[in-house]
Amino acid sequence: MRVIPLFVVLGGWLSMPAFAAEADLLMQRLADAEKKQSYQGTFVYERNGSFSSHAVWQLVDGQQSRERLLQLDGPAAEVVILNGKIQCATEDMASQVREATPWRQHQLELEALSKWYSFQVIGESRVAGRPTVALAVRPRDQHRYGFELHLDRETSLPLKSLLLDESGQLLERFQFTHFTPGSVEPADVEGGADCEPVSLAVEQKELTSTKWRSDWLPDGFQLIDSDVRPSPASKEPVTWLSYSDGIARVSVFIEPLDGAVVEDARSQMGPTVAVSKRISTAGGDVMVTVIGEIPLGTAERIALSMRAGADQASQ
Amino acid sequence: MSREALHESLSAVMDNEADELELRRVLSAESDSEMRSTWSRYQIARAAMHKELIEPRLDIASAVSAALAEEPEITAVKPQRFAWRNVGRLAVAASVTVAVLAGVRLYNQSEVAGPQIAQQAAQPSIAVPQVSQGPAVLAGYSEGTVAPGAQVTGAEGSPESWHEKRLPAYVRQHAQQAAFGSGSESALPYARAASMEDR
Repeated sequence: MRVIPLFVVLGGWLSMPAFAAEADLLMQRLADAEKKQSYQGTFVYERNGSFSSHAVWQLVDGQQSRERLLQLDGPAAEVVILNGKIQCATEDMASQVREATPWRQHQLELEALSKWYSFQVIGESRVAGRPTVALAVRPRDQHRYGFELHLDRETSLPLKSLLLDESGQLLERFQFTHFTPGSVEPADVEGGADCEPVSLAVEQKELTSTKWRSDWLPDGFQLIDSDVRPSPASKEPVTWLSYSDGIARVSVFIEPLDGAVVEDARSQMGPTVAVSKRISTAGGDVMVTVIGEIPLGTAERIALSMRAGADQASQ
Repeated sequence: MSREALHESLSAVMDNEADELELRRVLSAESDSEMRSTWSRYQIARAAMHKELIEPRLDIASAVSAALAEEPEITAVKPQRFAWRNVGRLAVAASVTVAVLAGVRLYNQSEVAGPQIAQQAAQPSIAVPQVSQGPAVLAGYSEGTVAPGAQVTGAEGSPESWHEKRLPAYVRQHAQQAAFGSGSESALPYARAASMEDR
């Protein structure tokens, strides 16, 4: 990565309060812009083992926001989202989403975020033929990844986002190749023929009081959602816990092993790591699988910290 | 040619100070037995002065001449012997090469094997192929298809299949919930979720 040396070189004057303040202002504008701006464009997404290109249309009309995403290469995966909820999707794209309101809405809350990340302007740049300002978002500990954001000068929307690991290696690239603010017709955000209405799994009304909790989480990570679903491979119930620090997300799946002898496992898909650890409980062994855009060591530690117990930490 | 002049030339040759003319003079007098004995004496004297050990009677030149004179006529056999000697040399060279290559290979193997063994010893738990190592295993993340490298047995209880049956759904649930379940307006988590569907 060329980025890190640049960080180092510019580090001196970037740490000046004026630039930090500008970075905060930009982040606030980004948080505001995401839901207020109509635009259309195409972007590419790249990570280890995957490269794809997509078209996106977003139409904001008063309080209503309608967004359509269409994959341009390979299978024509398509999703239409109305006010943050899926309207229609091609098969598989939304098969695992359930209709639920997370306990805490995922929002860019700058004040909280700045406890775990630092924001600094690192200079001018150009993305999709438009002038942008480059912003370094660096973690304050080793339990989360940093990234580099390139925000559109005019709309403050992120036109480019690079996720970087602790050594500055690029984990994933999200980058617009074409971007036009405004000028989106209602017809642009209508789903195609293959976009089938999604019947989201109805949330179980009785509170699924999960008896699982985490003994340790990186600072700033909070439980934002949880659920119990049947296992994809058996009838055993699988507990799902979702944690976030406002940017990074971690899912924990806990499935009873029912006497099966299964080894631990680890795998990495670009920015997403998956760690499976066998944990013994009074009611038999379970397999704890931690999946998230966090460093491997953090995922391992979270997996080993899961405890069965009535005293749910944060519910 | 006077004896004195010849002895002077001989002396010059001894001291490695002879010019070309003197050297020629000494060499042309080579058959002279008196010259040879003089040469011999000079050598002994020189060896004594330099405190070198020398067998004074060892006249290698005449010994070699005598041996050559006694050599029988075996010229017809010589080429064959030469050929065999060359073959022998080649064989030796080849075996040395093989030995060197084998040594290098063994060395490399031991170098590679070392960390592998260390890894196995340190982490016996990694039974499932690491997805990061290539797209072949990534294919295992789509339901219905199993990467050739990842498929060991279809047995219900095998550790590989246990993870293979669950991890794709887990990853999908994680990615899709992040993209669509949280009210996020960003296209990035959507792109992540879409990449999990890719073959």
